[in-house]
Amino acid sequence: MMRIAIKGIGAVGGFGCGAADLAAALARGVGRVTGLVVPTAQGELQLPAYRAETERLEQFVPKRALRRIDHYSKMALLGAYLALEDGGLLGSDLSRLGVVVASGYGATSTTFAFLDSIIGDGDICASPTHFANSVHNAAAANISIMLGAKGPSLTVSQFDMSVPSALVTARLWLAEARVDAVLFGAVDEASDLIGYLQHRRCGPRHAGAIAPLAGGESSVIGEGSAFLLLTRKDDTPSYCSIDAVETGSLYHGEYSAPGDPLWLLGADGRRELCARYRAAVPAQSRVACYAPIYGSMPAAGAFDLAAAALILRSGRAYPIAGAAGCDMHGNAVPLETESICSLRLAGDNEYAAVTLSRRGE
Amino acid sequence: MTHPWPVAITGLGCICAAGNDLESCMEALYSGRRGPAAPSRFTSGHPTRYPVFEAPGFEEPPELLRTSALALHAAREALSDAGLDAGSLEGVRVGVCVGTTVGSALNNEQFCRDYRAGGDPDLAPIERILRSNPASVIAREFKLTGPCQTVVNACASGTDAVGLAASWIRSGACDAVIAGGADELGRITYNGFISLMITDESPCKPFDANRKGLNLGEGAGMLVLESEELRARRGGRARSFLLGYGSACDAHHLTAPKPDGEGLRAAIAEALSCCGTPAQAVSFVNAHGTGTPDNDRVESRVLADLLPGVPFLSTKGYTGHTLGAAGAIEAVFTVACLERGRIPASAGFSTPDPDLGGTPVTGCTGIAGTVALSESLAFGGNNSVILLGTRGAK
Amino acid sequence: MDTKNKLKRILVEDLNLEELTPEEIDDSAPLFGDGLGLDSLDAVELVVLVQKHFGIEIKDMEEGRTAFQSVNALAAYIEARLAA
Repeated sequence: MMRIAIKGIGAVGGFGCGAADLAAALARGVGRVTGLVVPTAQGELQLPAYRAETERLEQFVPKRALRRIDHYSKMALLGAYLALEDGGLLGSDLSRLGVVVASGYGATSTTFAFLDSIIGDGDICASPTHFANSVHNAAAANISIMLGAKGPSLTVSQFDMSVPSALVTARLWLAEARVDAVLFGAVDEASDLIGYLQHRRCGPRHAGAIAPLAGGESSVIGEGSAFLLLTRKDDTPSYCSIDAVETGSLYHGEYSAPGDPLWLLGADGRRELCARYRAAVPAQSRVACYAPIYGSMPAAGAFDLAAAALILRSGRAYPIAGAAGCDMHGNAVPLETESICSLRLAGDNEYAAVTLSRRGE
Repeated sequence: MTHPWPVAITGLGCICAAGNDLESCMEALYSGRRGPAAPSRFTSGHPTRYPVFEAPGFEEPPELLRTSALALHAAREALSDAGLDAGSLEGVRVGVCVGTTVGSALNNEQFCRDYRAGGDPDLAPIERILRSNPASVIAREFKLTGPCQTVVNACASGTDAVGLAASWIRSGACDAVIAGGADELGRITYNGFISLMITDESPCKPFDANRKGLNLGEGAGMLVLESEELRARRGGRARSFLLGYGSACDAHHLTAPKPDGEGLRAAIAEALSCCGTPAQAVSFVNAHGTGTPDNDRVESRVLADLLPGVPFLSTKGYTGHTLGAAGAIEAVFTVACLERGRIPASAGFSTPDPDLGGTPVTGCTGIAGTVALSESLAFGGNNSVILLGTRGAK
Repeated sequence: MDTKNKLKRILVEDLNLEELTPEEIDDSAPLFGDGLGLDSLDAVELVVLVQKHFGIEIKDMEEGRTAFQSVNALAAYIEARLAA
């Protein structure tokens, strides 16, 4: 299977906006946790959460064109524009650009807003605008419309596995030469619903910071979008290449990666997955984990890929934030391997492993 | 790509208002039978009772979303049709690619009502959704080890899922893929489509001068796609072949198709190019044909331009618009029609519209040829097309 | 508040025409196309807004098309329906 190149990164999240902000937050080793106000039967609760701001979108799109665009689509649009800008394609002919968006939960605020329109004013007052914007592919559609991207457009929703699942297809589009580049990204939103889920699952006490490998429950709601501009591997400069994408279910044993990569774990403070992550990695391996920089959300899989790309280009791994319970910590260290395996686990036996490298750069 | 086009289809399964398996669906289609009626499973505050196409008598188990239960039902039929079972799937890398709109949306009205009323509603309805991701449900049920993908490309999802699955086989990522689409009827989509004012208060009339919009339906369609290696190893018969897939975005508007059909034209061209199939080889088109004024105008004009004189029909007059399932159900019907050498009447059509590019077939029509095209147009301007053929199939 | 002013406030607030104030909307300017620049999705949203704020049902877009020509036309339509 052919290798593909990561040419640009665009990310929006609690850490700020753009690849430089993400790299700076990774280097500092701390994320910015603010809060999400969640209505509950006990009154409004303030839950810790990472929140993304999208003001910078107005640099790329006139405000008038955004009047019907919700926060979910705005985050995705901003990530998409930033990735194009970073990859030097902003303003280019995008007729051979494909768009692939992964989302674990979709536009949950607008989905609730549509239900609110029915609940508040009756079925005959259902809002068509909210309905149209509540479909999962609203973000991808808005990206294609704003950019004039007329290639194929795809949205995948596979909960925790949305990102690697969608990446399987993005890679095939490039291999088949259906497109010359893919704007690939993921978006998830901190909404009332996501907050309430967190409240019911983890409350009443919520961790203020993610300790991804400590074994206890320490998830903190994340929000944002991360986009990668992907092309077929060529001689022009890029962050790194994506060499392999494996996804599926394991019914016998755990996944074993070839070679001796730096393992970038998708562990994000959810207790039920921590033990599986620890067991998945061979003894003595080098391990990293950056969920504390951007939060717990299905879209974090794309932030992991962006972090891996930044590491491979700089040649230095970032310190693990919230390193308690982990053998590796401290400052940025030289990357002693040429490849990174981004590992995600979900459910009882779902796994995904994405191998990225600087080979041949 | 490791393997060339085409990709073998070895099993088909289908459930919708027309029947709970492919055989009974085809019998209903050829006899012109359809029974849209007011929803029986939910109520609505709309004074008009818009007809829908429910899957008759289908009951989902309490732990699953109806969408995923429909998907499983069709997947069982498709696997059985392919001659595959748990035993023969062991050691085979099988993927699942399923299109849906409702099947992965965290969207439960009663939960939202209770929550907005100031309660602390139980998470059970939301956890059922999280457990019911259609592709994951199928993978779990049959203990499949390959990639899983739930495609949420609105009304083109089913067609996209089938087309994308072909890439998985061609790249060698899988030996087989269960591919298709599933969606259930519910108050949310019912109220949503009525609010867009594209719902007909009488049985839908695709391509008719008096068309007023769509009727919603529900169901699932599933296909088993298989690599030539696996087929040779187990002696699997090819029921037909996927000859191509194309998709393109209009990049025009969230809910309206581009008037010149630019994206649809590109998608048709791409699908034909995969195997170098000439347009003249297409013996019929199973159109998207929702019965909305805009869709049918754009679609019929593109067909008149690119495939002049080729008979076309919409099967949505028999099934309603099953959203994420539509493209998959229609792919299954398209193969069944190719096998039988004739297509049913385009139900609901009676009066030609001079504004359209042509008229659909009005009775059971014999077809000459082994290749047909099935297309879907969706919210967000997605256009997706697959090309199916039975030449060389057994 | 009279019908026209109420309508203008609804247009600005519910269709998120943030860069406009209600006073800036010309009573006779077309709502769609070159005037306010609304589109087909706004049209169906407007049908719901008229239902919600005035209790008037617009059955189909044939009816809507005439009523939605301008603030003047829509206000006249609403007042005629309310008087009927």
